[in-house]
Amino acid sequence: MQSLLSRAPRLAPRHLPARAFATTSARLQAEPKPVLMKEFKIYRWNPDEPEKKPTLQSYHIDLNQTGPMVLDALNKIKNEVDPTLTFRRSCREGICGSCAMNIDGQNTLACLCRIDRDANKDMKIYPLPHMYIVKDLVPDLTLFYKQYKSIKPYLQNDNPPEKGEYLQSPEDRKKLDGLYECILCACCSTSCPSYWWNQDEYLGPAALLHAYRWIADSRDSYAAERKEVLQNEMSLYRCHTIFNCARTCPKGLNPAAAIAQIKLQLATE
Amino acid sequence: MASSLLVRSTLPRALTQRSILRSTAIQARHATDDAYNAAYIPGGPVYKGTVNDPTTFPPPSRANGSYHWAFERLLAASLIPMTAAAFATSGTAHPIVDGLLGVSLVMHTHIGFDSILVDYLHKRKFPIIGPTAKWTLRAATVASLVGIYQFNTNDIGLTELIVKVWHA
Amino acid sequence: MMSTRALGLGPSLRKAAFSPKILRNSLVLRNAVQRRSIQTVKMPESKTMEILNRQRLRRPSSPHFTIYQPQLTWLGSIFNRVTGAALGVVLYGFSIGYLFAPESFSSAHVIETVAGLPDAIKYFGKFALALPATFHTFNGIRHLVWDTGKWLSLEGCYRSGYAVLAATGISTLALVFYY
Repeated sequence: MQSLLSRAPRLAPRHLPARAFATTSARLQAEPKPVLMKEFKIYRWNPDEPEKKPTLQSYHIDLNQTGPMVLDALNKIKNEVDPTLTFRRSCREGICGSCAMNIDGQNTLACLCRIDRDANKDMKIYPLPHMYIVKDLVPDLTLFYKQYKSIKPYLQNDNPPEKGEYLQSPEDRKKLDGLYECILCACCSTSCPSYWWNQDEYLGPAALLHAYRWIADSRDSYAAERKEVLQNEMSLYRCHTIFNCARTCPKGLNPAAAIAQIKLQLATE
Repeated sequence: MASSLLVRSTLPRALTQRSILRSTAIQARHATDDAYNAAYIPGGPVYKGTVNDPTTFPPPSRANGSYHWAFERLLAASLIPMTAAAFATSGTAHPIVDGLLGVSLVMHTHIGFDSILVDYLHKRKFPIIGPTAKWTLRAATVASLVGIYQFNTNDIGLTELIVKVWHA
Repeated sequence: MMSTRALGLGPSLRKAAFSPKILRNSLVLRNAVQRRSIQTVKMPESKTMEILNRQRLRRPSSPHFTIYQPQLTWLGSIFNRVTGAALGVVLYGFSIGYLFAPESFSSAHVIETVAGLPDAIKYFGKFALALPATFHTFNGIRHLVWDTGKWLSLEGCYRSGYAVLAATGISTLALVFYY
């Protein structure tokens, strides 16, 4: 055993064992970083104890041993403090939309939200507002996806070109900018008070943004049918231009403007 | 998810049979349990259809859709010049402008209240209070229209009253 | 089968599947596969939906307006609705009052009552009427501009919002103190 160890190349520094956790790098630092403890108050609910009401649980972590984003803090809490903390996450770069949650009162992506370095203020993390909660920070997005499916988010054209693909001018393609980038994180829809009160009938900013994305696409020939299904009291017209959606979108998109364009097209056609 | 292959291949057959019998027994006991036969409640956690069915739309009706919206906006837009005109001139000298303003204001208020009711007291969630509130609003609007007409005819008119009260 | 992979039974089952026919039905098969205590029960989809719906009914709804950050966007919008409703109540109240009690709501009586109030109450009353009316009017104009397609960016929303607040403040003060 001893000879094996001496012959193998030494990958770790001498004063550390051959395998070490990354967090022990604190001992390698020239001057130890000061400890900066911040309190995180996180919404908890356990489906295994459904009678217990949801609570806010406090966690204190050292910001100087954590990454800069809220998702790093959540991972640190889950790894080191409380492994039962449950949340969705995937890409950690703001493109998948899994980690959408309400941080300090605003709906945003945890992987894109920087932690405020002020140790005197606590950070409150809630799940997306007015959604049924599966566990802790995980909302049930079933209805959101059903609504997205209902607006038929795919190209519909009865006359495909005989040869090649559908041609589109650069000007027509530009009309889709600010619409196609939506990652369906549900931040905007769950920030809309109209969606809170009438979730089952009102489509919400995300679905309506996508509805407009297909109405505005020059390659799609079913714009009239797409607009016709919105001709009722609830699906589109519960929007009162509250503008919470545009304010909260973590990708910088503007569902309010898209919805206003749909209303204008419906009224002027 | 009906993934039973695992059971069939890894467990003795007797256990499998016992577990199936146990589950049907539980189901028989809970046959009348409301939670098992959860009815759809609008806004509730139980959804219509399966998770793969898209949500449905009501039959399209322009009267409830774009015509209502366009009328509401045109009415609101007309209120601005009408108010300016009514307060610039005197109410008693131009009773028609005053009357038009009164009627427009009442209609604008009615559309506003109706929007509040649809948002918060829709009949699909409040089957009794919802329609009651809607018809109360309609009755109140009719009464207000009559009242405004009476006031403008038998008394000094809306704009004149506001001006006089302001300087009282 | 994804479930077999998740439980680590893939290799054993694969080995058992590709083993020669003689061995298939022998005890070797049963020993090759590890025994696990996880049981699954075959159920028709309607029964699984019932279990899911039973769980769905237990789920809480996450907090909304109690935890959402106050922002000019939705505060301006709800204030628009509240001022509109308040002015509407005054209008309807007065009109219906005049319809059923024309003497007590006649202009002469109303003016007389208002004139008899102390000055402080008069100023407060003017303030209480002017602020909602001006805010609702200016915010209404902002809404109509949105409906034509302008000022729909986030900067447009915030700039016009602050402009509405400024216009409301100035016009209320002008109406209460100078008119």
